Amino acid sequence: MASRVPKPSTQTPHALVSEGGEPERDRPWIFRTYGGHSSAQASNRLFRDNLARGQTGLSIAFDLPTQCGYSSDHPLARPEVGKVGVPVNSLDDLHVLFEDIPLEKMNTSMTINGTSMWLLALYVALARERGEDPAKLRGTTQNDIIKEYLARGTYIFPPDASMRIIAEMYEYCLEHIPKWNASNVCSYHLQEAGATPAQEVAFALSTAIGVLDLIRERGQFSGDSFATCVGRVSFFVNAGIRFIEEMCKMRAFGELWDEIARERYGVDDPELRRFRYGVQVNSLGLTEAQPENNAWRILLEALGVTLSRDARCRALQLPAWNEALSLPRPWDQQWSLRLQQILAHETDLLEYPDLFAGSPVVASKTEAIKAEARAEIERIDDMGGVRAAVASGYMKSALVRSMAERAARIGRGEQTVVGVNAFAEGLPSPLVGGDDGGLFSVDEAAVREGLEGLEATRRRRDPERARAALDRLRRAAERDENMMEASIECALARVTTGEWADALRGVFGEYRAMTGIEGQSLGLRGRRADEVTRRVETLSRRLGRRPRVVVGKPGLDGHSNGAEMIAVAARDTGFDVIYSGIRLTPEEIVHTAVEEGADLIGISVLSGSHLELAEDVMARLEEAQAGDDIPVVFGGIIPEADIASLTRRGVRRVFTPKDYELVQVMDAIAEVLEEREARAT
Amino acid sequence: MQRGEQDLVEGAVALAKAPLGRLVSIFEDARPGAAAKRKRVHAALSAHPRRREASFIGVTGAPGSGKSSLVGELALRLAAADTDLAVAVLAVDPSSHRSGGALLGDRTRVRLPAGERRLFFRSQSSGLELGGLGRASFQVCRALRHLFDVVFVETVGIGQSEIEIRVLGDATLVVMPPLAGDHVQFMKAGLMEIPDVLAVHKSDQGEPAEVTYRTLKATLDLSHAGDGTPAPAVVKTSVETGAGLAELCAELRSRAERRRGSFADKEAYFFEGWIRGEFGRYGLRRLPAIGGTAAEFLAASGGFDDAQAAFARALLGDDAPGWSP
Ligand code: B12
Ligand SMILES: Nc1nc2c(ncn2[C@@H]2O[C@H](COP(=O)(O)OP(=O)(O)OP(=O)(O)O)[C@@H](O)[C@H]2O)c(=O)[nH]1
Ligand SMILES: [Mg+2]
Repeated sequence: MASRVPKPSTQTPHALVSEGGEPERDRPWIFRTYGGHSSAQASNRLFRDNLARGQTGLSIAFDLPTQCGYSSDHPLARPEVGKVGVPVNSLDDLHVLFEDIPLEKMNTSMTINGTSMWLLALYVALARERGEDPAKLRGTTQNDIIKEYLARGTYIFPPDASMRIIAEMYEYCLEHIPKWNASNVCSYHLQEAGATPAQEVAFALSTAIGVLDLIRERGQFSGDSFATCVGRVSFFVNAGIRFIEEMCKMRAFGELWDEIARERYGVDDPELRRFRYGVQVNSLGLTEAQPENNAWRILLEALGVTLSRDARCRALQLPAWNEALSLPRPWDQQWSLRLQQILAHETDLLEYPDLFAGSPVVASKTEAIKAEARAEIERIDDMGGVRAAVASGYMKSALVRSMAERAARIGRGEQTVVGVNAFAEGLPSPLVGGDDGGLFSVDEAAVREGLEGLEATRRRRDPERARAALDRLRRAAERDENMMEASIECALARVTTGEWADALRGVFGEYRAMTGIEGQSLGLRGRRADEVTRRVETLSRRLGRRPRVVVGKPGLDGHSNGAEMIAVAARDTGFDVIYSGIRLTPEEIVHTAVEEGADLIGISVLSGSHLELAEDVMARLEEAQAGDDIPVVFGGIIPEADIASLTRRGVRRVFTPKDYELVQVMDAIAEVLEEREARAT
Repeated sequence: MQRGEQDLVEGAVALAKAPLGRLVSIFEDARPGAAAKRKRVHAALSAHPRRREASFIGVTGAPGSGKSSLVGELALRLAAADTDLAVAVLAVDPSSHRSGGALLGDRTRVRLPAGERRLFFRSQSSGLELGGLGRASFQVCRALRHLFDVVFVETVGIGQSEIEIRVLGDATLVVMPPLAGDHVQFMKAGLMEIPDVLAVHKSDQGEPAEVTYRTLKATLDLSHAGDGTPAPAVVKTSVETGAGLAELCAELRSRAERRRGSFADKEAYFFEGWIRGEFGRYGLRRLPAIGGTAAEFLAASGGFDDAQAAFARALLGDDAPGWSP
């Protein structure tokens, strides 16, 4: 392998040559498109189309029930089935999902965490039933639970149990599926939750350290086999709009990882110390306003991780211009894929050795990021490592603080976002002018088909075998035995996703992560902020106490940034706020509001299930006889066309990313409360 | 009493959430006009045939020591052990001195089943009050007193002026995190005078909790040697392992029975507190002339709500503007 990589020519340092001295280009990175929706059938079609268009790897998005360990017919699952990814209920679904796609030839990346072991077990079982060799499977289960607690939200079990699952998967894979990346340490999601470059580097490397320390402690590997294990750790990184800094960040990542592998783990082979990483470029900065601008942002972000040969990604996936509007449609994905193809095939990018080697500017910037990250890694180490720093809330608070600083900078105009807080005037975008408004919609008929499939699986399976498989899984969990084989047997026995997760919930319990908002402030200042604070003050006098707001995140949606910022902004402007974090049921949210005598409920939904959840929340409020007392507002990714439906259901205001000025949002909330007072008197 | 208020009281006594939530709001209402309503509702509650009589358990301890987690567990356990028992939690969180707003985070740590009527959780902000309770905390306790059997009151836990919680609670629990301090700090803090029960919490963390436990024991032996009051119980607890929780429940309940204060004494104390808050030392100086001791004045005025209005009137004249109950 290594010998096929071209080298810089000694005669002409700007050229790359082969072993034999012939001029040669680098091979391009892997082009990926993150996708999956509606049902296994629909997603299979999507994958095959994408492969036919020249995509070179699969990157599977699962729906939230699958990610959180619920079968499609669970009450928590119903509003979310097939919305943001493909539902997988059992091995039968996986057969459909991979129909006519040769597993041995695929490099399959699965964005799966809480149920990572289950999905890998299903994939191995699929290979076995199709008569393909599981040992030849290639790909990745994302399986980084730390960033789930911190940013992404699809965790199920408490940290110790979750870390054990990760370690067991490494142990299994190294022995049975050597080309599989058991986990992919993610910094991508950390940046999406506000992380600075140094935080991104430090938190991700600390996570890798947490996993490797545990594996070493468990003692299944030693010497060379442990070094191989270190070599299997791969990363999934973000690339933001400050693309020079991001390029330096990639170098910092690589150099620090090399250092850690060498010094902490004693890995001698430089090949095993290589920082192997894939990238999804930043999406947080992609805007709802003037969405066409996002195309340029994506391009620039892609440069950050491709320009420099020494810090080039191995795989790249790009969001689409309509990121802040909805899931991408097939055409949107194609457009982004074309960007990669042009960059790799039309330009001369791949003809050169590293362009920045020796640049004092790049070296100095890289060192600065490294120094900051190193200090942070040490701090986390001193706290007892990443598990302790998650449990104590330190890491989450640090992210929320960074996010609040970002929101405050944008609000004050210190950080320019073109089309949002600068150059906001513009012509209407023709891209949103089509019949579908530039939006993707889920195929409801396909979702129903999937549900029928689940019933059929349950009917057809041998119930005795399924029960025995689940018993075996429970026993393995209790006795601290590796749960992979038991999970594969569950898969073969047509156990469902919900059953697998429930069995382990019974043994490990469930977890609720920190919100990180305590003690945070957005430092809202200025005339507008003072005005709102006074308005709330006046309201307080009228109400006889401070207005009390419950901010709720119903359903399985893990997007917490918006709710966190709203909660902090509300406190900053004088509201009393209750926010209990993600993944609550509408029942729990309404119950909280009623019990606490709340004046307003603010619901945040970004997963696309706002209509179903609004229905549920409003019905429960009626039931609790609080429908008139407690006005409800919504925020999140809510298409223009759905706003009227929400209003019809009684929702008083709807906010979307366009409402980035938090002071203004607070003003609107105060107004809703004034309206209620006016109605009451 | 108005029809709506009657329904509210009936609903609250039956522990239905919506009326309970609203009823408590009446006791938080700082508008002068709310006092009359509060008086009616309070009268109906205290005369209700199915009223309960709560014992109050005050819970304090440094920020993050584990108060809310522990209280949540205790409430669940008490309610599970006795199917007639109704338990409320009133949890106070600090307000921002800049904006006056608050993040009421205690609730986040506690997950009580939404469908269970016998468990009730209410958050409050401290406002700008010192001492770990909010302006309306005692007011709300006046209502909860008639509605629940056990009321936990969690303070902000800043560690100053904890005496309020000692008065309000029939038993006081102080929650100590591992490595809470050394012997001298324990002595200095005067903390030893507050608790009936000390929980050395997060015992799952092993050695650090052990050290705190031993240090505390030694300090207590020293500070309580000789004087007649019973020494506080010390229990090692953890919500992770469940260790010590049964013992803690039992200690708290039995000590609350033993030390149970009369509610009238609590009223007198908080009435004085209210005078100090509203009218400062001047108000307190005038109290003897206006109506004798706080207890005497309360008795003569016909209850807390009337006493507030009467005192304000006596001090400010008939219009009595600019005060809040
Ligand atoms: C950041 C982000 C993430 C982060 C989340 C980090 C975190 N802890 O929040 C990460 C990387 C983890 C993530 C993951 C996923 N994401 Co995402 N994500 C985004 C992204 C890029 C930005 C959202 C954001 O945080 N914005 C910043 C905050 C401050 O803004 P906001 O939430 O919109 O809130 C503002 C307003 O909407 C409003 N508001 C919001 N809520 C409320 C509530 C109240 C009360 C009020 C008054 C106002 C209000 O006020 C806020 C201030 O301006 C969006 C796309 C985009 N650019 O908007 C996709 C997006 C929301 N994600 C999407 C998807 C699909 C996912 C995944 C489900 C993918 C998958 N299949 O696994 C995962 C899983 C997450 C999960 N568990 O649910 C889709 C949703 C599609 C849909 N609705 O149809 C989007 C739209 C991207 C896309 N086009 O595909 N994501
Ligand atoms: N290890 C361990 N951690 C605990 C235990 N109880 C609580 N914690 C953790 O301690 C932290 C603080 O818990 P809280 O219950 O919020 O403490 P608190 O005293 O109410 O905090 P404030 O109200 O903010 O002052 C949280 O991270 C809890 O998860 C325990 O028994 N063991
Ligand atoms: Mg608390």
